[in-house]
Amino acid sequence: MPDSVDIMVIGACTNGRVHPETYELLAFGRRLQALGSGTVGVWIWGEDVGAAAREIARRGGVQVTAVECSGLSHYAGEPYGKVLAEEIAAVRPAFVCAAHTSEGWEWAPAVAARIGAGCICNVDGLTEFQGRLCFQKDVYGGKVKGLFSPNTATTIISLQLGLFKFTPADRSSQGPVIHKEATYRSGRTRYLGTRQAAADTSDITTAPILVAVGNGIGNQENISLAHRLARCLPKAAVAGTRIICDRGWLGYERQVGVSGAIVTPALYIACGISGASQHVMGMRGAGYVIAINTDPRAPIFNEADICIVEDITRFIPLIEDACARIVNSIDQGSDEK
Amino acid sequence: MPGMTFKHGTPREWHGVMKILVCVKQIPDIERIVVRDGPDGMAALDISGDFRLNRFDEFAVEEAVCIKEATAGVHVDVITVGPEPASQVLKRTMGMGSDQGIHLQTPTNKDPGPAAVAAWIATYARPRGYALILCGSMSEDGMHGQVGPMLAARLDLPYATQVIALKTASDPTGLSIEREIEGGVREVLEIRMPALLTLQPGINRPRYPSLSRLLRANRQKFETISTDALEPVGTLIDCLGLVVPEKRRTSQVLTGSALEKADQLAAILKEKAFL
Repeated sequence: MPDSVDIMVIGACTNGRVHPETYELLAFGRRLQALGSGTVGVWIWGEDVGAAAREIARRGGVQVTAVECSGLSHYAGEPYGKVLAEEIAAVRPAFVCAAHTSEGWEWAPAVAARIGAGCICNVDGLTEFQGRLCFQKDVYGGKVKGLFSPNTATTIISLQLGLFKFTPADRSSQGPVIHKEATYRSGRTRYLGTRQAAADTSDITTAPILVAVGNGIGNQENISLAHRLARCLPKAAVAGTRIICDRGWLGYERQVGVSGAIVTPALYIACGISGASQHVMGMRGAGYVIAINTDPRAPIFNEADICIVEDITRFIPLIEDACARIVNSIDQGSDEK
Repeated sequence: MPGMTFKHGTPREWHGVMKILVCVKQIPDIERIVVRDGPDGMAALDISGDFRLNRFDEFAVEEAVCIKEATAGVHVDVITVGPEPASQVLKRTMGMGSDQGIHLQTPTNKDPGPAAVAAWIATYARPRGYALILCGSMSEDGMHGQVGPMLAARLDLPYATQVIALKTASDPTGLSIEREIEGGVREVLEIRMPALLTLQPGINRPRYPSLSRLLRANRQKFETISTDALEPVGTLIDCLGLVVPEKRRTSQVLTGSALEKADQLAAILKEKAFL
C-alpha cells in the first residue's frame, strides 16, 4: 500500500534522463515538509519512465510514482494539464511543486483552475508570516516581493529554478517506485518540433565586459551612449534587455535574460535597467555588477556591487570623461618613468 | 511582418464573422511606484494617480487588430476586469482599432486575483463563441501570468503561452504558432481553433491609438457588468504583505555630485583592472 502524499513533486525526464530540476524541486519539497508536516512523493509522466523513476527513488530516497503515458513523447499544455489534473485530484496533496519553466508556468494555472486549487507562480522563497506559511514572489516589476498564503486544500506552486540545493539521500533509504498508466490524448494541439531562434549570441556570451541597456536609455539615439561607454573599456560589448530588443534598438542576439542569453562576464554595467527577474536570471553569474538607474528602489540595485542613482543619459558622458582622465594620467605616469 | 493573414479566408465555422476576444488589464505605472518602509519591517507602496494599459496586453490588442485588418469578417472585443476607472484602457484599445469594449466592473480597487478574473471572463465568453482569445503573457503588477491558462481550462480550450509567432495553418481552423521555451529555442505547434493564446512582447510592434478612433471611443458606450452579478469566487490565495527584496551583493551606493560619482566609478574600474 503506497503512502499517501501531502507534497507532490512533479519531476520530468526525457528519454530516460532525469531533468536536474526534479532534484531541485525535491529539495524544495523537503523544505516545505520541514516547515509543516506530511510526506513527499515525486511523480513523473511519459513513455518508458521506469528507469528514471528508479533513479529518482535511489538518489532522492523518496517514493516515486511513474505514470506510463503512451503518446506523451512531447509536452503540450492542454493535454498534459488534463493528465496531471486527473492524478492530482485523485492524490489530493496539500502542495504540488512544479518548475517555473515555459512548461510549468503554462500548465500549473490551468490545472489549478480545473481542480479548484490555488496557484502561485514564480515562487523564489518560503517564509512564515503571521503564523502562516507564505510563498514569496516578485510583484510590481520586482520592486517588491509579495508574501502569498494559500486558502485552498491544494495549492500548486511553480518554483523559480537555481535557488534550492539538493543533497542526495543515504544509500540505505531508497524509496519505492509505484507504476501507473494514463492515457494521453494530444487532440487539438499538434507538436511539430523545435527551432533555434536565429540569433547568434556569442558576441555577448564571450565578452569579458558587458554594457547593458534597459528602458531608462529613453530613445533609440541614446543607444550610441552605450557604445561610447563600451569603447572606454577594453573588450566590452553592448547588450540589452528584452524591451530594447523588442523595439529593434538592438538585435535579439544582444538580449540578456531568460528568453535571450545567460551571460557571465567579469563586469556587467546595467544602464537604466530596472532588474525584472527575467533579466536578472540572465546576468546573475556576472563577476562584478555596476548598476545605474534613476530609481533608488530599482530591483537591479539588489543585484549590484556598486549602485549609482543617476540618469544614464547624462551620466555616461561623465564616466567617459572620468575614464579618459584616469587613462591619461596613467599614460603620463608611464612617460615620466 | 506582424499579424497574420487568413490566406484561406475566414473559417466557415464562424458563419462569416470570426470573433476575437482580447483580455487586458489596467495597471499602475510601475516606474513611478515609490517603495517605502512600512510597519513591522514590511514594504509599502505609494502608487501615484497614473494608471495605464498593461504593456504585455498591447501586443495582444495589436495582434487582434492586425488579424482584423488582414481578414474580412473579423470582430475584436476587448474585455477588462477592474474598478470604474479601468474602462480607460478600453478606450485606448478602441483607439488602436478594436470594435467593442466590455468592462467587468469590480466594486473596489482590490485586485480580485487571477482565479476570479479568469472565472468571470469565462462566464462572459462561454456563450459568445469566440474563435480566438488573446492575452498578454502576464501583468506588470501582479506578474502571475495565470489568467490565460486558467481561462483556457475553464472554457476547455486548447491553448499555448508565450507565443512569439502566429499564422494560419494549412487547415483553415488551425493556427500555426511558435512559443518561446528556454535557451532561445522555440516550440512549433499547430493548434485548432477555438483556442486561447498568451502573447510574448516582440510578436509585433503595438501601434499608438489614432486620434479619430479615440474621439469615437469617447462617444461609444462599453458593455458594463458588475462582478457582483457574476458567480462569486473565493480568494484562493491571500497576499499578506510586501517585502523589499534581499540584497544579493554588497550594493554599495556611491554618493556626491554626479561628477564625483563618475570619478569614484572610474577609480573603481581602475582598481578592479577593468580599465
